[in-house]
Parts: sequence; C-alpha cells; structure tokens
Amino acid sequence: MKVVILSPERPVFEGEATAVVAPAYDGEVGILPRHAPFMTLLGEGRLLVRRQEGTQEFKVKGGFLQVRQDTVRVVAEYATEVTNADS
Amino acid sequence: MPKPRELRRRIRSVENTRQITKTMEMVATSKLKRATDRVIAARPYAAALSEIIGELYSPDLAERFPLLRQVGDRVGRVALVLITSNRGLCGAFNGNLIRLAKQRMEELNRQGTEVELHGIGRKGIGYFRYIGHRLASQRQDIGDKPTPRHAAEVMAPLMERFASGEIDAVEVVFAKFNSPLSTPPTVMRILPVTPVSAAGSGKGGGRGNYILRPSAEAIVEAVLPLYVQNAMFRALVETAAAEHGARRTAMKNATDSAGEMIEMLRRTYNRARQAQITQEIAEIVGGAEALKG
Repeated sequence: MKVVILSPERPVFEGEATAVVAPAYDGEVGILPRHAPFMTLLGEGRLLVRRQEGTQEFKVKGGFLQVRQDTVRVVAEYATEVTNADS
Repeated sequence: MPKPRELRRRIRSVENTRQITKTMEMVATSKLKRATDRVIAARPYAAALSEIIGELYSPDLAERFPLLRQVGDRVGRVALVLITSNRGLCGAFNGNLIRLAKQRMEELNRQGTEVELHGIGRKGIGYFRYIGHRLASQRQDIGDKPTPRHAAEVMAPLMERFASGEIDAVEVVFAKFNSPLSTPPTVMRILPVTPVSAAGSGKGGGRGNYILRPSAEAIVEAVLPLYVQNAMFRALVETAAAEHGARRTAMKNATDSAGEMIEMLRRTYNRARQAQITQEIAEIVGGAEALKG
C-alpha cells in the first residue's frame, strides 16, 4: 500500500509500505494493506512505517490519519523523520 | 562641459552601486528559489486539509462549530491582517500591499463595518504608524522564513475572538505567489471558513463509507483550527516568496539602469578627455609658433 506523510511545511515521506503503526488519539493503531476506509485523529508519538527494506520511524503530533483506496495519508501538524543516529 | 576627473569619480561611484545591486539581485534569486520550494512543498498539506473538511462538512455542522459560523451580511467588525516584508528595496511590493489594505478598509468602512488592522512586517507597520493609524496588533519578527508556529501564534487570538463573536470575520492582505513575476496583492477571507464541499466534491454520501474515530464532529473540530492556521501559513509563505521575486526584479532593473548610466558617463568622459588633449596640442602648437615668430 501507499503511504504519504505530510507536514505543513513539506511532504515528509512518500512510498510503498507493508504496515504502518500510528499513534492515534487513544492509542496506537496498526494499518495493514487493504484496510477499510478509515479516519482518525492523531495524538503525539512515534509513527512506524514498515517497508521491505526496513522500518522508518517518524515523530508526529496532531492532525489526522486517513486510509482510502489502499493509501494511508498522515496529515500531521508536526512530523519529522527520526534518523537512525538518534535511535 | 564637466571635468574629466569629476566624470571619472562619478563613473566609479555608479560602478560600485551596480556591483551592489547586482549582488543583491543574485542573493534574491537564490532566496527566491528556496522560498518557491517552500511554497510548493506546503501545497499537499493544504490540499489534504481542504479535502478532508470538504468530505466531512455538512450544513448541520455549521451551527455547532464557532469557526464555521456564517455571518451573512451583518458583518460588524473585521480583523484585517496586512502582511508586508521587513525589508525594503523591492520596488512597489510593499506599496502595493499597503494600497490594497487601505482600499479594503475604505470599502469595509463604507459598508458600515468596523475594521481593526493587524500588521505583520516592518514596512506595513511603519507606514500606518506614520499616517497615525491605530494597529490592533503588530509583529515584525516573522521574517522571510515563516513557520507553522508563527501562523498559529497569529491566528490563535483571532480564532478565539471570532469564536466568541467579538469579531465577525478575519481577512488577510498578502501577495499571492502565482509565479516570480506574477504576485498580485490579494485579499483573502480566512474566517469564517467557507465550506469547501459546496464548491468542490458534491458527494455528500462519501462520509458514510469511513470508519471514523472518535467521530466526524470530533475530527472536524480538531482539523478546522489547523485549516485556518494553514491558510495564514500559506499567506505568509507566499508573501515571503513574492518579496524575493519583487526584490530580484527591482535589483535587476537597478543594475540595468546603472549599466546604461555608466555607458553614458563614459561617452561624456571620453569626449571631455579628447577635448582636453586637442586643447593641449593646440596650446603647444600655438606656443611653438609664437617662439618661431
């Protein structure tokens, strides 16, 4: 499935993924391919994008997540990639 | 005819000026490039927000959310936010924005609407302070790299006062960035939020297909302020890019006319120099003739 992560300033990530784990307002949600249309508010925390090459981690805060037509769209008030050096 | 030495001094001075304007043009060009990238990078987020509000919007929500409060024709008080640059040397850029803001204020006053003016950017603030117009708030610290946080700070008090009914609309005067050469000053109404669904997607039933958590209302409630802040953020980012575009054009014109002026001065200088030489030769010849005689 396709994953897009948008912050107000720029698109932070765009690509194919096998799973997404996101911090929703009331706890983590996991999204796998062929998920039903879904929309939820985001809380604050780390968002994981699992890909064949490995897992990428992002810090997100606020905004919402939307799943539609096998595309996950994360529209966050704040989003930035956590580089491996910090983790 | 001016003295050659005087002319040489002026040529040198204009050459220096040309060097400076040329440099400023190049600086503006590189800043413009980055500012343009920022404008483009900010678009997907804005598009996603309008889309989501369009999908979730329904007329009955309008009554429940203060930010969607439609005021109709009885607009009593409007907050007008004027965005200008902090720096000058960018041609008519700030002048055009200030002129549009004044026009809009007059227009609103004619309709019997009270207007309070909020200034962002030193140039606009300076002008209104100079003519003695009161500013309801002012900020000069945003500069040419606005962040979403800046926009949120500007909008927070306005949203609160709009929700409480103290003001009935928020409009912003900014430079819309169509391209580096087309940056028309524009008035945009940020509040009340105009329902996008009416214009855009007519599929009101699309909403039922989603699993919504916690609920459509809660999502709209959380997303609306983001949408409003983002409208302000976009206005700031576009104005910043437009400023660099305007400065580049202004500095290019200045460099070009300095070049023309140098050419003209040099011609005059050469003529003066030639005249001097001719005169000296004439004097020598004249002197030699006199000695011979």
